[in-house]
Amino acid sequence: MIDQASTYAADIDNIIIWVAVLAGFWFFVAEGVFFWLILKYRAKPGVKAQYLEGHENHVKKWVTWPHVGILAFDFVIIVMAIMVWYDVKQQLPEPDRTIRVIGQQWAWTFQHPGQDNQLDTDDDIFTVDELHVEVDQTYHFLLEATDVLHSFSIPVFRIKQDAIPGRTITGWFEATQTGEYDVQCAEICGIGHGVMAARVHIEDSDGHAAWVASAATAQ
Amino acid sequence: MIRVRSSKFVALPIVAIGIAACDSTPPPVGMARGEELFETCAPCHGETGAGNADIETPAIAGLPQWYLQSQLQSFQEGWRGQHADDIPGLRMRPMAVTLNREGDIESVSQYVASLDPTFPPSTLHGNAGVGAEQYRAVCVACHGEDGLGDEVLRAPPIVQIHDWYLLQELENYRSGARGAHPADTWGITMRANTVAMTDQTMQDVIAYVQTLR
Repeated sequence: MIDQASTYAADIDNIIIWVAVLAGFWFFVAEGVFFWLILKYRAKPGVKAQYLEGHENHVKKWVTWPHVGILAFDFVIIVMAIMVWYDVKQQLPEPDRTIRVIGQQWAWTFQHPGQDNQLDTDDDIFTVDELHVEVDQTYHFLLEATDVLHSFSIPVFRIKQDAIPGRTITGWFEATQTGEYDVQCAEICGIGHGVMAARVHIEDSDGHAAWVASAATAQ
Repeated sequence: MIRVRSSKFVALPIVAIGIAACDSTPPPVGMARGEELFETCAPCHGETGAGNADIETPAIAGLPQWYLQSQLQSFQEGWRGQHADDIPGLRMRPMAVTLNREGDIESVSQYVASLDPTFPPSTLHGNAGVGAEQYRAVCVACHGEDGLGDEVLRAPPIVQIHDWYLLQELENYRSGARGAHPADTWGITMRANTVAMTDQTMQDVIAYVQTLR
């Protein structure tokens, strides 16, 4: 499995694992019963097949009990999913920084706050296909698209958020480890979709401050 | 047993097809490969390389091979199409990056250079008379009296290019969205010649260039 580099990456992985386990449990139970019944009631000399309408309780229980069990497991999955969804998508923790992410065919433009730590000021730093963030800091991202649908995806963060022309969508993340990882577009956006790739550089406090200073000088 | 034999007969062609599909030997460098590669360019630049103003793709048909090659290399190197304000360039750069086999750039450039130039109609309304003075004072040194450019000076022909595209690129040079990379020495020359140009001057010069056809 790829790195888990955000605060909620493990939560999302856990729910995927639980869905696989719970759905997998019923898959193997159902297949086991299915093949057991085929074997048990296979054709035998002198035994005539019966047609069962399924009205009797002792027959219906083979459908009803698994149905109830699956509903119970579904309930568990839905509750877990809502909890993770709320944490990732519905709530917005107070940000340490805000960045703007703009998707266009076929590149990502990132607007970082400069040394004043405020977005939309004169010292903002614009980069193409290169996002710089500081580890252990909460970021809000303002996601926009200039032309068609895109999807802002950072696999190690477990972020995947559609970008829609005409709308600004706010999301958040907090990186938990330093490193350099892929950013990709996860929504077919034209002939160059497959090469619409960028990198996120997660730096410690000193490293990020050094990058901001060097970028400010370059601009 | 019969079934086992049948499966062998089925499997052999599948394996052969699989091996054939994995054969990644590219066609030789040249027009045939260029024509094949151009299929990726055609959705935006058009089957004839005439460009499409609606999606801001310029006419490229008939531009010199050396210029097409240099620009594709510039996109690959990130000298072009790497600035947040250059939206059409941002589209072009990843497409240029896909030309990653040895000989791809040469082949597609050769093919595009072989296409007939289209000389798209004018869309701007500059004063050609005023623009002539500016052109003869500055631009002529590299692009020539006839606007056909000079390979030695790495100046492309500009008479066959969309006027809106010329304006867009002059603005890009002026803002630093193009020609600002330290390695782009020829672009830096062009940028130096645009920083003092006003919007009106640009339109006037372009109007004059259109008269050179």
